[in-house]
Amino acid sequence: MKTLQLEFYKIKRRKIWLTVFAMLAVQMLWGMWALRNPKDWELECGWTALLYMVPIVDGVMMPSIMSVLASRLADIEHKGNTYKQLETLRSAGSLYHAKALCGSIIIAVMFVVQSAFFITLGYYLGYMGHPDVKYYLLSYVLKLVSNLSLFLLQLLLSMLFANQMIPLVAGLGGSMVALLLMFVSRYSFLPWGGNLSAALVWMDWDEATRICTYYYRDYSPAEMAAVACIFVWAIVFYVAGRILFARKNI
Amino acid sequence: MAAKNLIETHNLTKVYSKVRCVNSLNMKVPPGAVYGFLGPNGAGKSTTLKMILGLARPTEGTITLFGTPMNEKNRIRLLTDTGSLIESPSYYGHLSGEENLHIIQTLKGCSPKDIDEVLKIVRLSDAKKKLVGHYSLGMKQRLGLAAALLGFPKLLILDEPTNGLDPAGIQEMRELICTLPSQYGITVVVSSHLLSEIDQMADYVGIIRKGELVYQDTLASLHAHAKQQIALRTGQPATAISLLHQDGIEVEQEEDYLLFPLMDDAYIGHLCKRLVEQNVTLYRIEKREKSLEDIFLSLTGKESSL
Repeated sequence: MKTLQLEFYKIKRRKIWLTVFAMLAVQMLWGMWALRNPKDWELECGWTALLYMVPIVDGVMMPSIMSVLASRLADIEHKGNTYKQLETLRSAGSLYHAKALCGSIIIAVMFVVQSAFFITLGYYLGYMGHPDVKYYLLSYVLKLVSNLSLFLLQLLLSMLFANQMIPLVAGLGGSMVALLLMFVSRYSFLPWGGNLSAALVWMDWDEATRICTYYYRDYSPAEMAAVACIFVWAIVFYVAGRILFARKNI
Repeated sequence: MAAKNLIETHNLTKVYSKVRCVNSLNMKVPPGAVYGFLGPNGAGKSTTLKMILGLARPTEGTITLFGTPMNEKNRIRLLTDTGSLIESPSYYGHLSGEENLHIIQTLKGCSPKDIDEVLKIVRLSDAKKKLVGHYSLGMKQRLGLAAALLGFPKLLILDEPTNGLDPAGIQEMRELICTLPSQYGITVVVSSHLLSEIDQMADYVGIIRKGELVYQDTLASLHAHAKQQIALRTGQPATAISLLHQDGIEVEQEEDYLLFPLMDDAYIGHLCKRLVEQNVTLYRIEKREKSLEDIFLSLTGKESSL
């Protein structure tokens, strides 16, 4: 607990929250632009549509956001050569755990803000009815775990490599992979496809009427396995990060 | 009964990419000492100290700290009574000096009052609110020492603490290190590649060369190794050697000189008289002293830097 508190103390003046929310602000601006002036059919299915659109945007943006967050958390240690001092006071595993937990809390708060923003936007635009609490909660949990696995992968790279270009390039590459995956499938077993698998809603586009029909996905066994994979990746990256960081010679 | 050594290593070995950086090292650091760990650059000093602090895993061998064999489970507990400054200082540039020390103080679990005290010792009280990123290298080094001193541990491990300091800073750091055992009861292990530096600070010395500990004893004992000899140059060395052998004196020949152990003035006077009586021409007779530098170089190899 003390180590976790110190993680937040350490990021004082690092403007990590500002960095994360600046990137989230881009999503919000996109939301305000893309969803402005809704048509009647869009007002009818607005709440369902959000459960499709937001995870898709997350899929493209989050690998990069996660790499920036992980890098900001880890590079303070590389810059000041602090691991050699910290590891005489705490085990490497405990330091990794605190860092992972600190990032996880930031991500959890970030998605609360994101969800609150889009729900407020939905009400402001006049979407009919109310958001389905069960699906919105489930969507929150899935996106949290999915992006947590990306964050843990990035944290592992950021803590192992002093040169932060390596994890940042990996994050950008992840965004590209996620974008490509969206063209070919509704789900993926790759960590960067987690947001895709976690989208609870899918859509059909009618070219003639130019109307989208949004519907809750009926998950096939393969798609269910892809969702389960989100959790598996999170565990694998956490355990791998802890082990590899502990084995690293300072 | 002799007091327990604070650090003991037994056959400590570290292999990096098939190279034995540290080889079967048996180090013994007695309590209350300033132990100078001396060796040329790349001899294995930092690797040894890192292994003692658990920052690098030994390939072979054991480390005993405060009389307890150190392992992964008790490492952090044993290191609670240890402060360290390895190579360059560790710091968060975006935090002030005081905030940096607050992090270490919290992790060490010592009193917050220690922060002001250690800042006073290293003379950084006036700069405690300044961001460390704006500190000079010397100030960062002093902050590193302050962090190591937090909680006033029993053992302080300092790896080349004067690196990057200006002459005044070096002198200040040396003076501070020398006072630690007497004022705070702290045993200090300080590494350096500079013999003169260790000569001014340490009372015990360990000399490492290519990963092997080639000398370990008190500094006084190292000074005693500074062998004094008489060098004699004559026109008939064979006669002189024969005369010295008659007196049971071992003689070495080095270029034009005959070298033999230091004798008192009476014997030298008597010897000169006998040499002249036997028609041996005396060119030169002088006292020679093997300096500490000579001993260091002979132990570590001529190519090593001082």
